[in-house]
Amino acid sequence: MITVDGQCLAAFVFGTTVGVLVQRSRWCNTAALRDAMLFKSYRNTKALLVAMMILTVGFTAMISFGNGNPMRFDVGINQFIGLFLFGIGMVFAGACTVSSWVKTGEGNIGALWALLFLIVGLFLSSLMWSFSYWPLAGQTMTGHANAAGLQFGWADALTLQRDTGIPAIFFGLIQTAALYALYRRILKRERATLAVEGEAKPAVAAPVATVSPTLAKTTDDAGRASAALPTLGD
Amino acid sequence: MEFFKKSLDPIVALAIIAVFDIFLFQIVGAWTVGGGETMIAGLFVKALVGAKEMNRIPFWRMVFKPTWAYWKIYISLGMGFGALVSAILSKEFYWRVPKHLSEWVMITIGGLLMGVGIRLSFVCNVSTFLGLTPEMNLGGYLAVSGLVIGAWVGTWVYKKILEA
Repeated sequence: MITVDGQCLAAFVFGTTVGVLVQRSRWCNTAALRDAMLFKSYRNTKALLVAMMILTVGFTAMISFGNGNPMRFDVGINQFIGLFLFGIGMVFAGACTVSSWVKTGEGNIGALWALLFLIVGLFLSSLMWSFSYWPLAGQTMTGHANAAGLQFGWADALTLQRDTGIPAIFFGLIQTAALYALYRRILKRERATLAVEGEAKPAVAAPVATVSPTLAKTTDDAGRASAALPTLGD
Repeated sequence: MEFFKKSLDPIVALAIIAVFDIFLFQIVGAWTVGGGETMIAGLFVKALVGAKEMNRIPFWRMVFKPTWAYWKIYISLGMGFGALVSAILSKEFYWRVPKHLSEWVMITIGGLLMGVGIRLSFVCNVSTFLGLTPEMNLGGYLAVSGLVIGAWVGTWVYKKILEA
């Protein structure tokens, strides 16, 4: 059993490693979604899918052997609504929680501003929390389904394993296969785009750039020019 | 050092992070970010108004008792620290300030929406994609759906604003 100090130290070492790797790779969760939708650029999306595949196998394998610390988490409609708001917010701010910290570390004042207001938003929301009333009702979040509170109870690989008697890794491998199929589809689409670009020389910036003069050009890992939203001074 | 002279493939970076995250999952739990910021908010306000006033707010009395001994705070601080060290070593640290008022407004609204969204759902983007979903939690699938639709709506609105 690890001590509280040990937990904090392990978390700091992990966070520092993430900070270094994300800073060097320029990975961004916002870009993983926004660039895929806006520019059909999948540099960040592919990295996200690879991490999800590794983690799915790793977590479900550990759960199968009774190891790990899965979140005891009440599932409800509030997850959909909350992350819907979060999704709009991260595109507006031009950074998610991770890239806000990383860009702040690089000296980006806009990212620090986003973090400050994220903290303000968190505190304001905490004032709305109620034990008795939805949303954010503690009384309705009991780990069991609750139709009135729009809660579905606790359901994950661990409960699947417990209810079916089948090891969690079995379900994990099915999910990994689905994620891999999505990854393959993206690779196929990229190859098709490269083939079209190869035929239509010279290569030009993404078409959106012509509609929005404020969009800045960047270069992706394949060395191709693409357009990016000028958020947070990037 | 050679590592800080060139950029890293994000697939390699995220694969390494994922392996480390499996170790963290064994020790304390999967990588998450919003919890650390929530605790930082609580500690900051507690320092301003005092423990007695803070205790009057049900959330801070029943859900998140402000304490520095909360491991998720150190993931967030570590990310900022790691990025600072990395930016200095790679000579990429410099002050960047948004130039236009519209950018400040969008960042402010965006930050607020992210904060409200995290508290409403009890998850952030990291725990959605790299915590709940790999644990095959139903909440992860709901959160991914909400996040993708939200990002699509946000992108659409942002594009319209830029075009205007």
